Amino acid sequence: MDIGAIDASATLGRSWLHAASPVAKLVAFALVLAAVIVNWNVLVVGSMTLLLAAAVASAGLKSRLAFGLAAYPALFALVFALASAPDAMTGTVIVLKAASAGLAAVIVALTTPYPQVFAPLQRVVPSIVGDAMLMTYRSTFLLLEKFSNLLTAVRLRSGVSARQPVRAGRATAQALGGLLLYSFDLSQRDYDIMRLRGYQDRIRAKPARSERPLADVAVVAFAVLALATSALWRLRADALNPYSWLVPIVPAFVLLAAIVFGRRGDR
Amino acid sequence: MSHIHIPDGVLPLWLWAGGWAVTLVAVALAGHLSSRADMRRKVPLLGVVSALMLVAMSSEIVPIAYHINLTVVAGVLLGPFLSAIAAFVVAVVLAMLGHGGVTVIGLNTLIVTAEMVLGWALFHSLVRALGRGRVRLSAAAATLVTLAITTTALVGIVWLGGEAATARETGALDPEQLRFENPLSSGVFSVGLFSSDEDHGQGEEAGEAEHAEETAGLSIGRFATVVYTLGPIGWVIEALVTALVLGYVARVRPTLVFVGALAEHRRSIPGDEAGGL
Repeated sequence: MDIGAIDASATLGRSWLHAASPVAKLVAFALVLAAVIVNWNVLVVGSMTLLLAAAVASAGLKSRLAFGLAAYPALFALVFALASAPDAMTGTVIVLKAASAGLAAVIVALTTPYPQVFAPLQRVVPSIVGDAMLMTYRSTFLLLEKFSNLLTAVRLRSGVSARQPVRAGRATAQALGGLLLYSFDLSQRDYDIMRLRGYQDRIRAKPARSERPLADVAVVAFAVLALATSALWRLRADALNPYSWLVPIVPAFVLLAAIVFGRRGDR
Repeated sequence: MSHIHIPDGVLPLWLWAGGWAVTLVAVALAGHLSSRADMRRKVPLLGVVSALMLVAMSSEIVPIAYHINLTVVAGVLLGPFLSAIAAFVVAVVLAMLGHGGVTVIGLNTLIVTAEMVLGWALFHSLVRALGRGRVRLSAAAATLVTLAITTTALVGIVWLGGEAATARETGALDPEQLRFENPLSSGVFSVGLFSSDEDHGQGEEAGEAEHAEETAGLSIGRFATVVYTLGPIGWVIEALVTALVLGYVARVRPTLVFVGALAEHRRSIPGDEAGGL
């Protein structure tokens, strides 16, 4: 999980999805999630995966990063499906549900700076929880860098290798212990700095406004379409399931167009 | 077992919505209790411990390809109230990075909180019983027992969800039902939406599909077998890492382990790594 690459994509990207407002993207994310939840038709859920892949391609997001992150929940879902699904079809739907929901979350994460993702959440959760979310994100970068340096030092000093798993494990665990102590000192320094800057009850993240209202409409419209299709196919499954093969056709064309125009845009 | 890697939409609505409801009440309660002034200074601490769990989850132990969670370590350091908040924060951040479902954030928070609180209670009980010289043993035993209990809780959650899945109509696709013809010519859009299935001669197929749906459900026995076969390997690794980390911290800065991070605030003097003890 390369959190640094996720943050770089979210803050430095300039695509139409980056220009959409965080609130629109979160609403669209909730709608796509609902679409994933309500339907168990493999072709309908697979269509949503295609549609989300088209969004990745059209926004020019790093495909290896986006699909790599989405593959993580899909891999765990595969283990769950192998362990518990009654048949191959159900197992495939479980994996596709994980891939779709994961990809939707990844698209939001790759196109929205973290404080903006949590700005709406801050309004509804207790202040200590909202503050902790922001502090967690900031601390994660600092600790990842520190841990990476510590592991390099451990490798250089104690010669960690696959041939000595016990020694490697002990060295890694001690590096984690050192990181823990460092993190406590860091939290004390953070608190001092926050108090000096006037922190009393809440860190406020100001919600960003939309740079392109048309992008907001497009994002939400796609999500509404996905939910409507999913709900319709669930409610009228008996009548519509025989024609499920029609559903993936549109997302497949959208994906193809996004790839073609995306490549032209790169030239 | 730390967190549930079950995708969105697999568990029934009542289960994950119930998890969310209990979690929101628990987090609100923990937030209320931690609104006292002396707790405000723990916000950065909460952030770094949550971040530490995230870092551990994103880093594998060399050379074993396994990601640890450090939930027991975090529980020992934070105590029960802040543990609930840290668990919620970690579950939300993981879900927003695609690592775990959004609907299962509630259940994930409950599992992680249970792990942290159980680990905290068991560790301190064992330290009291065995003495401060047996920190590693106490930490390893507390972690093993905690993970065994929370893994059983995870299997219980899937059992609850699986039983519900067998009873509900899912609308899943049966490949034999597919008809590769123009749906407009067969009138599915003009008639099919508003008339009974028998009008289309699909009554039998629908009946068969319904029967298949009624008999389909998550196989809890197989899931439990896989979890209880692979799980203990993870428990042992997590127990070893927890023992080594807490043993190291207990040597270098004992107050953090034996009193906890909510102990009376005391600045450490640079260079005095023993924390004045």
